[in-house]
Amino acid sequence: MRPLGSEAVAAEGASPEGTPAEEARRRARLDGRVLLLLVVVAIGSRGLLAGVLDGPALRTWSTIFVSITIQALPFLVLGVMVSGAIAALVPASLLTRALPRQPLVAVPAAGLAGAALPGCECASVPIAARLAAAGVTPAAALTFMLAAPAINPVVMVATAVAFPGRPQMVLARFLGSLLASVGVGLLWTRLGRALPVGGARRLPPAGLGRWESFSHTARHDFLEAGGWLVVGAMAAATLQVLVPRGVLDQVAGNHVLAAVALGLLAVVLAICSEADAFVAASLQQFSLSARLVFLVVGPAVDVKLIAMQAGVFGRRFALRFPALTFLVAVGSALLVGRWLL
Amino acid sequence: MRDRRTQGTMLLAVGGMALFLGSSDLTLSYVRAFVRPLLLVSGAVLVALGVTAILGPLRRPGLATGGGPRVAWLLVLPLLVLILVAPGALGSYAAARRPAAGAAGGDGPIPPVGPAVSGAVPMELTEFAYRAAFDERHSLDGVRVRLLGFVAPSRGGGGYLLARFAMFCCAADAEVVEVAVRGDSVQRRSDQWLLIEGYLRPSPAARDAKDSDPTDTIPEVVADSVKPVPAPRDRYEHTLFGY
Repeated sequence: MRPLGSEAVAAEGASPEGTPAEEARRRARLDGRVLLLLVVVAIGSRGLLAGVLDGPALRTWSTIFVSITIQALPFLVLGVMVSGAIAALVPASLLTRALPRQPLVAVPAAGLAGAALPGCECASVPIAARLAAAGVTPAAALTFMLAAPAINPVVMVATAVAFPGRPQMVLARFLGSLLASVGVGLLWTRLGRALPVGGARRLPPAGLGRWESFSHTARHDFLEAGGWLVVGAMAAATLQVLVPRGVLDQVAGNHVLAAVALGLLAVVLAICSEADAFVAASLQQFSLSARLVFLVVGPAVDVKLIAMQAGVFGRRFALRFPALTFLVAVGSALLVGRWLL
Repeated sequence: MRDRRTQGTMLLAVGGMALFLGSSDLTLSYVRAFVRPLLLVSGAVLVALGVTAILGPLRRPGLATGGGPRVAWLLVLPLLVLILVAPGALGSYAAARRPAAGAAGGDGPIPPVGPAVSGAVPMELTEFAYRAAFDERHSLDGVRVRLLGFVAPSRGGGGYLLARFAMFCCAADAEVVEVAVRGDSVQRRSDQWLLIEGYLRPSPAARDAKDSDPTDTIPEVVADSVKPVPAPRDRYEHTLFGY
């Protein structure tokens, strides 16, 4: 159900008259209307479906699902507003000038810069591409790409809210992610080559005003991160309701197995870093250390990031870099977890 | 999610849901009270972004629309679930499937029991369970308490449990606190809310075995007054005594 001509029409700057443009607009409205229709039908059919959707398992699943989504929503909105503002207001040249030249110094500096300049996971890949294209050493650009979504203030606040009474989780997440991103960067200075900076198609279109740039980025980031949040919330709810407690307890009890399982879960779930703390909090059977693995791995490598990296940096990169990141992230989390948690 | 109008509609839908939830008591079934004003603010922001997206193309026909992420369609699911399932707070089904929560033994001294109201000390289940397990001064001996919770099936041993969820962050991580009820022979329906007055039944075996884990046994209350009541406005406990 994709409007065929809307992009071409928009690119031409044609006035909204004439049959192809009209038809394209009509199709576009149909897309939005499907949504409204869904909601209206749902409201209308509440009475009809009363008996069908009443099972206690479904209700419990729904409560868990809805609660994770609602809890995370304000933090997601805050996160995309900040990243949208940065996309609109902060030129990449600022970072290029601020970062030192030598890789060994630039990498840790880039890691710390990630704390100061929050970037949503969704934006971190194009930002790294922009940095590398502007002359920042590849390792530092990659470190920034890993650090910014993981240790920015919004994520720290969300983690604090998700684990009340356990401030050590916040500190552990900060140190674990910082260690992981700097570790990967330093390893990349040894192992990696220059970054092929091909596709820049995910950047907001050039020539937009600041407000347009902001709202475009915020809108796109929220929709994408929100979609993945729903995926993560559904998975967590399903885990709680469907998987027998015995199985989960078995996995959770084994230190190594739990860490690997949650690390892989983080890769598969692709939840935005502003929201993943709430999913992690819901995984009650697992130890804090195992959940720290989930929190450190998530912003660094997941299916969404791998796809984006493949698109922007090429497939060869996407084959090696995520694997390296996964190993270093799990290792960092276990190290910091052993020390702090 | 190709064009701006669809994206804008989705943002309006989610923003509208947030605004509704931010102003409703229903939300207390899922999250803590402080989240509601946050939902109002974020709802307003999303509505603003949605309106911008929808109105945009009308103002500048030359603006490139750009594709949107397809995963975004999933955002309609929380909306549909709320409308169609309207789940409400966690109940006896979830209580049976959660591990029975053991409060971690706290470090500080336990404060004295609160004052009695109309002949019994009203006490949250988390406090009752904590005192029963960890209070070396046995502050509950001979104290008539008033407990509020919902009926959950017993985990073996007859009778039923009085249960309530204690919420840390949101319903997804809520832990269930349970107290076994003795002395009530009436058949109670699961999820029925009860106001129970009675006394902690001391369990000498558990008390004497110093090395046994105090959280292994569910505390028991001998009830002499059991009254069915309507569910409270906020079904979760938040004070988290002992955590």
